[in-house]
Amino acid sequence: MKAKKKITAILAGGAALALLAGCASAGGGDQADGKITLNVWTFGGMGLDEAFAQYQEENPNITLKVTNAGGADEQAQSLTTALAGGKGPDVAAIEIGYMAQFKAQPQNFIDLNTLGAEDIKDSFLDWRWEQGVAANGAVVGIPTDVGGLAMAYRTDLFAAAGLPTDRDEVSALWPTWDDFIKVGEDYKAATGKGMVDNVSNSIYNAVVRQGDEMYYGNDETDLVYDKNKQVRKAFDLALDAVPISSRTGSFSEEWNAGMNNGDFAVLAAPAWMTTYISQQAPSTTGKWDVAAVPEDAGNWGGSQLTIPAKSAHPEEAFAFIQWLMSPEQQLAIFQAHGNFPSTPELYDSADIQDFTSEFFSDAPVGPIYAKSVKAIKPIYEGPQQRIIDTAIQNVINQVENGEEPAAGAWDAALKNVTTALKG
Amino acid sequence: MDAAAPYAYIAPFFVIFAVFGLFPTLFTFYVALFDWNPIGGQTFIGLKNFTDLFSDERFWNALRNTFSIWVLSTVPQLILALFLAQLLNNVRLKFANLFRMSMLVPYITSVVATTIVFASLFGRDYGLINGALGLFGVGPIDFKADTLASHILVSTMVLWRWFGYNTLIYLAALQAIPKDVYEAAAIDGAGGFKQFIFVTIPSLRPVIIFTVVVSTIGGLQVFTEPLLLSSPGLTGGAGRQYQTLTLFLYEQGFGNFQFGYGSAIGVTLFLLIVAFSVINFLLSRRISSDD
Repeated sequence: MKAKKKITAILAGGAALALLAGCASAGGGDQADGKITLNVWTFGGMGLDEAFAQYQEENPNITLKVTNAGGADEQAQSLTTALAGGKGPDVAAIEIGYMAQFKAQPQNFIDLNTLGAEDIKDSFLDWRWEQGVAANGAVVGIPTDVGGLAMAYRTDLFAAAGLPTDRDEVSALWPTWDDFIKVGEDYKAATGKGMVDNVSNSIYNAVVRQGDEMYYGNDETDLVYDKNKQVRKAFDLALDAVPISSRTGSFSEEWNAGMNNGDFAVLAAPAWMTTYISQQAPSTTGKWDVAAVPEDAGNWGGSQLTIPAKSAHPEEAFAFIQWLMSPEQQLAIFQAHGNFPSTPELYDSADIQDFTSEFFSDAPVGPIYAKSVKAIKPIYEGPQQRIIDTAIQNVINQVENGEEPAAGAWDAALKNVTTALKG
Repeated sequence: MDAAAPYAYIAPFFVIFAVFGLFPTLFTFYVALFDWNPIGGQTFIGLKNFTDLFSDERFWNALRNTFSIWVLSTVPQLILALFLAQLLNNVRLKFANLFRMSMLVPYITSVVATTIVFASLFGRDYGLINGALGLFGVGPIDFKADTLASHILVSTMVLWRWFGYNTLIYLAALQAIPKDVYEAAAIDGAGGFKQFIFVTIPSLRPVIIFTVVVSTIGGLQVFTEPLLLSSPGLTGGAGRQYQTLTLFLYEQGFGNFQFGYGSAIGVTLFLLIVAFSVINFLLSRRISSDD
């Protein structure tokens, strides 16, 4: 009896330890037959599913274990947790808004130059490549797509408001942002509705990216958000545009419904956004078109593919990334999902130049985004970029929702940034 | 050797608690003294995180929000639970067990699902609630933008999740009250309402105190609901109008890579909860010694 008690006791204690040991040994994991498992962390909207399936088929010795975190924010948070715990997948996608924050700590990632990144550098847009390079010169990430800017608009709603519907005529309506706001006023007078979805998405995000710099000058110590005229211009234009806004927050339920129901007629659309619209509002096929953005070109969006330092298979991971972001694959991703390639050799090819979108009334989205992307001026993005951006855009949203007065909003935004940078 | 056996039996709990409960808590105290980038360097800065925190208006805002949401969710919730428990305790109730079990359905439903449904119900343009309010010429109310409305929205979700749990606890306590107390009260001429006030409530006092304590600890840590509503971003609305302390902690730690600052928030929250538990304990001891 005594012995039995002792054994049970030992078993109970042992079970607890086994549980702990189990936690420690989870992860890693190659199969016994010599196959290699690559853990790949992505998020929604990257349009890579078919490419993953194809790679899997062509490389039977590799098993891709893809985890889609959902949003870019969730992805960044889980990657932070993993890296802080000294772990990480073999390939991790990082959205451009977070890239500067992660590459400020390049020791968490493999310098891809050691795996041959130098050889593929020339196939990418220079400035897009630089977004993945750390201050110490380490190549932390390989670029995925590029945003570019254009305006998606509803031809049926424009016709109902007595506005032109042809994409060239629409582009001609708004050579400047002030003209754009005037068109919005006409639209509102005719329909009683706001023309744009919201001002932080369609005005601020677009305008702020049209300058030579954003919140930083040339390096991470050179904060210019308070002096940069383009930031102030974007901010003021956004506030001026509040009357023509339908006050529908980006990526909210109202936003998705609004695309279907015609609650707004225009939204700023980087290439990847066109996919989002067509997925959210399939019932509006043929009712959309794409016009030029007022004033200048700018980039909004894109990601980098990185290899965390703890990856067990960096060579295989790099070979995979190299294949995935090759011009051929990027073209296939664009054709299937609309994410625009970051490899300029494609831009003048017939595949891009002849590419039209049925959803967008057969608009030549290929040449439209190619032209827009070619005109982009590089902008230096610093580690606190996203934090500054949130602090400023929060104030714009508050003014738009009537929670804050427009007078003094800029000072409130600056104060918000100061608090955010301190904390 | 027999003397060691009991310790071995309870060891699993203590080992797991030490690893997943005690160590992280103590480590948080340590991290709070540093400027700590989770994927980068660490610099010892003493109590600077705390002095920064107490002069940070975002902290006071989150604290206000947390209390407001706590009051708005806990008070109606416990009253509702008491009322429902009273109904479910009725001996003439048919299918009593079915109703009792169904109280737990919101509790076992995924919070994510609940939040999606509630966000949709409370939607500004297409929400059912605003549709109903519109029939009376009220609104539409932008539940996520307005401060008080957003607190009501978050509180409603918290209430929805927890009222069933509290109802069942009250129900169990109600069933433990001896019948003869009620009979004696009836003979003395007390009607249903008077019986409730003078017999039921006093008999439930320890249980009410328990539910208040548990709801306080839970209410100060409301996180999932505001997190899921706060999309995109972690600020709990553009004006941080429904950012709770735990969401502020998460924003600083995991959104902005400020583990030290986030830990300082965590430590402060911990001390707040301890303070509240002590107050609760003293109050409840005083109340029970009144008899």
